[in-house]
Amino acid sequence: MTIDHTKYCVPASAFLEAFERCGIEYVTTVPDMLQIALHSALEKPGSKIRSINCSTEDQAVETAAGLYAGGKKVAILVQNQGFFAAINSVRALGLDGRIPLFMVMGQFGREWSNLGQDPRSSKRLMVRMLEPLLETLDIPYWRLESPDDVKNIELACDAAYQGSRPTALIVGHFVGFDASSVD
Amino acid sequence: MSLNAKQVCEIAQSMRGDALIVNTMGAMNAFDQLGSNSPLNVSCVPLMGGAASLGLGLALARPERAVMVFDGDASLLMELGGLVSVGQAAPKNFVHVLLNNGVQFAGLGNLPTPGASGVDFVSMAKAAGYTSSVRCDSEEEYRQALAAALKTTGAKFIEVDTGYSPATLGPSVPAVEMTDARFTRMGDELRTIRKTLEAA
Repeated sequence: MTIDHTKYCVPASAFLEAFERCGIEYVTTVPDMLQIALHSALEKPGSKIRSINCSTEDQAVETAAGLYAGGKKVAILVQNQGFFAAINSVRALGLDGRIPLFMVMGQFGREWSNLGQDPRSSKRLMVRMLEPLLETLDIPYWRLESPDDVKNIELACDAAYQGSRPTALIVGHFVGFDASSVD
Repeated sequence: MSLNAKQVCEIAQSMRGDALIVNTMGAMNAFDQLGSNSPLNVSCVPLMGGAASLGLGLALARPERAVMVFDGDASLLMELGGLVSVGQAAPKNFVHVLLNNGVQFAGLGNLPTPGASGVDFVSMAKAAGYTSSVRCDSEEEYRQALAAALKTTGAKFIEVDTGYSPATLGPSVPAVEMTDARFTRMGDELRTIRKTLEAA
């Protein structure tokens, strides 16, 4: 299936600009395939945000909480599956502990025919179960379905820190590569 | 090894200076028994496996202070890859003390941890990128290792064998109830640490 990716891809630069406006200094992550462009941008020399690669998403959540206690602001970059794997850490630190956890989670596995449609109608269970699961956990979320949704990056981040709670920014399609990222 | 968990933690408490302390499981109980209410302590509970990563975040955020993590063997096994996460992040101020007693629910049920005998955590930590990794077989060795760890740069791993008390759960004590505080203290203590560091 051929699609116009520019309709759905939010470029990595938009994330970095929003993160910097929010005062984010660290990212903790187990890398997400949909966010490869963002991960690559964060790894470039001169990046103002340090990316901490963890071997599990639980560690990404826990390290983020430690950074917060040390006075830092953090974004946690994971895949939908990674969030599923880390729910107990989110429960302990974010829900029971009321620690801000700004989570950016990619909808890995989403079929392209679902782009522009409601992700809850995806054929793929890992995609359509994400929002109901977040609602069950009382975790507010914002969709990032196109460049028109860029404002949701800061909204989700601010809500986490102002509400002292977990929030989710759901990245619906691959993060876009900026022209400057071409080597 | 003649030290128990309380003695391991008491020695650390006396040597800590202005270090941040993350504890979990048996070490958490030990620090509670010592009456340690430092605003620079956090108990990783109920979140088995999270202590080292919580400590890593603190160490990266505050490189000017030592961060001491008191971990359990079963807890470490749950996030064994965390040794690599710490090694790769290469904090300059990280001291990871493993209280290895070979059981889960020490003093309650004393159930054997997988690999309760013969798992070489010291080698794993070294292979994962820790700058030093030692096993201590006496109080003197532990004191020296801790003193050295607090003076040197890097991520340092210290393993000590500790015992455990007889199991209390049984026909006469069939259950224990968790208090509400057990679910809220970690968040409260993290906030206290944040405020204390801001004010310092």
